Amino acid sequence: MISDVTDFASLAPAYPELALAIGAIVLLMIGVFTKSNSANMIMGVAIGLLAAVTVLVIIQTESGLVFNGGFIQDEFARYMKVVVLVGSALTLVLSVSSAAEHALNKFEYPVLILLATLGMMMMISANDLISLYVGLELQALALYVVAAMKRDSGRATEAGLKYFVLGALSSGMFLYGASLVYGFTGQTQLDEITRMISLGGSGIGLTFGLVFILAGLAFKISAVPFHMWTPDVYEGAPTPVTAFFAAAPKVAAMALFVRVVYSSFEPIARDWQQIVIFISIASMVLAAFAGIGQSNIKRLIAYSSIGNVGFALVGLSAASEVGVQGVAVYMAIYMVMTVGLFACVLSLKTDNGYVEAIADLAGLSRGRPFVAGIMAILLFSMIGLPPLAGFFAKWHVFIAAIEAQLYVLAVIGVVASAISAFYYLKIIRTMYFDEPILQFSAAPGELRLVMGVTGFLVLSYYVTVGAPLADMASVAAKSLF
Amino acid sequence: MEAQIGLGNFLTVGAILFTIGVFGIFLNRKNVIVILMSIELLLLAVNINFVGFSMALDDLAGQVFALLVLTVAAAEAAIGLAILVVYYRNRGSIAVDDINMMKG
Amino acid sequence: MTLPLFFFYLFSATCIGAAVMVISSRNPVHSVLFLILAFVNAAGIFLLAGAEFLAMILIVVYVGAVAVLFLFVVMMLDVDFAELRKGFLQHLPIGMLIGLIFLIELVLVAVGFVVSPQVAAESVLPINDTISNTRALGQVLYTRYVYLFQAAGLVLLVAMIGAIVLTLRHRKNIKRQDIGRQVGRKRSEAVKTVKVESGKGL
Repeated sequence: MISDVTDFASLAPAYPELALAIGAIVLLMIGVFTKSNSANMIMGVAIGLLAAVTVLVIIQTESGLVFNGGFIQDEFARYMKVVVLVGSALTLVLSVSSAAEHALNKFEYPVLILLATLGMMMMISANDLISLYVGLELQALALYVVAAMKRDSGRATEAGLKYFVLGALSSGMFLYGASLVYGFTGQTQLDEITRMISLGGSGIGLTFGLVFILAGLAFKISAVPFHMWTPDVYEGAPTPVTAFFAAAPKVAAMALFVRVVYSSFEPIARDWQQIVIFISIASMVLAAFAGIGQSNIKRLIAYSSIGNVGFALVGLSAASEVGVQGVAVYMAIYMVMTVGLFACVLSLKTDNGYVEAIADLAGLSRGRPFVAGIMAILLFSMIGLPPLAGFFAKWHVFIAAIEAQLYVLAVIGVVASAISAFYYLKIIRTMYFDEPILQFSAAPGELRLVMGVTGFLVLSYYVTVGAPLADMASVAAKSLF
Repeated sequence: MEAQIGLGNFLTVGAILFTIGVFGIFLNRKNVIVILMSIELLLLAVNINFVGFSMALDDLAGQVFALLVLTVAAAEAAIGLAILVVYYRNRGSIAVDDINMMKG
Repeated sequence: MTLPLFFFYLFSATCIGAAVMVISSRNPVHSVLFLILAFVNAAGIFLLAGAEFLAMILIVVYVGAVAVLFLFVVMMLDVDFAELRKGFLQHLPIGMLIGLIFLIELVLVAVGFVVSPQVAAESVLPINDTISNTRALGQVLYTRYVYLFQAAGLVLLVAMIGAIVLTLRHRKNIKRQDIGRQVGRKRSEAVKTVKVESGKGL
């Protein structure tokens, strides 16, 4: 038994992860051993490191299994990793200007974000139930800490505690399912599990294992009925942290969901398809109605993200290559819209601090037309208005559902989308037609840049990035089949 | 020795412990320390399953999985208690239902 | 009933009883002590299944470190336990019902679980009876599973950073012992000879 680490060249598919791990540890050491407050410098280097790793993921074209089958690099993993890395880097950029107010101006914050991102990359590339679990926990533990990092705030520590309890419960469910699947198939490697299932057929133990695994993963993407923590955590955590939670980990958990159901439970697609359809419908419908009564914008975004996960799962429930392509496109667009929306929320600052109540946005279009304009574009895109990016995201997943003859699911999706338009439009009305109450201060440059870029991408999706993104997603989807 | 204890026995113990753990989380909604202990019970139940399967399948991978679950669970307990301590410092209480700062 | 089976029933009955007490006892200190009891008995179950290394690790890590950590936190936080008991009985009947259904389902799966001979024959890492369990785990942990070993190290690193960043507070004006300075101190820095004239004082 030769260990892989003795031959560095054979580790090529895992170079990005190695670079990120080593970089995070080096930054940690620099932070610990420099006397002065080095938080800003480390934040900058961490953003640069994420950018460098993104480039490395793109140019490092070697695919395959590493570490005796524990780690897989393929086109799907590469696509999802790029989305996750960009999401992490952008949310770190968002937190620069407000780090001090949110008690995130410690060097541990960027280091923990880097380690969480590493965990996400490990999740995306996991080819073994054990490495999947370890990646998931690396990500989750770093996020629990980040949620509670504003340790003098009752709300933030409460958010951290709730996130922790529910996250740990979901890990327990996932593990119980994993143990049953291991017992039933005798394998932990995902592709070997598929082989054993197609040899030996299904059974009650396997079905139970599948249900527990999916329940655990549904917690991680905060799909209904496992969404309970989302609104509280989103509201309680510091806003830059909420932005991070809503963007990168969702994408990674969704990628994991896709990989688990396709690469290890493909032979029993009938079983998981029903579960995914149920979760998807429940998420879309609940989010559409629960969002209506919200008065806090972060809580509203929480419900919106639950709904978005439901829409992405529409593509997954099609159980086809087009469906996976739809999910991949959806998650990329979702990440960009979410980051843009949080850039807007973080730029809503008055002399008395950050504004979170929707009613306080009244008349934003007069004081700050740029922010209001970008926010309106992003919200219209969330509704799914053509020709904005959000429309195409939904179009991809619904086409997949219709091709798979899931007409009821597609109809419910469209109806839910129409209902949720109500609360998005309410924000736009408040911004454009109400009398201003608050005087907002000017947004920092990097927030304006992020808003500008995301707004541009969403607005010009069809003519600029639309076609290449769909192609890349299609290549990614092919690699799973 | 190993052939004398059936796999079903191990799995039953695992199932009972798992149920007790889940039950403990939902029943003690106020007492976070007991919730954290219930999580430990959940992971213990999972480990009993893995060890039982490892024996029945004559396969070491189950024990490796259990070993990693143990390691990660210890890390999880440390983080959970740290968050609990900061929560207590802010609130002077460990009850989660106190939480009426945010609607739940 | 054979001796191993007798011990299995003994360990599992104690373990389950202790687990019930963990979630239902009035005082969290008792809960922690019952948790320790549950762990020790689970270690016994592991031994019966041939997982000797895990059994010892369970005792060393869980009883020795995790449970003590719990005990430490319970003692440190000054909590009104009577207050926390409120609402326990309120959800009990419905909780019992749901728990019972859940339990019956899980136990049915557990009892009916059959490992097919085909699956057992394809075992990835067959257990080698000629070497000890610890050695067998060591042989795969640093080779085949080196990735997981390193990743687990990162998880522990995150736990360490997390615990420090959440709870460590740098207090000002605190007096610390500096051994280097203490040992390196010279007589001339510490003692001053003063010539006191008689009848005058200092």
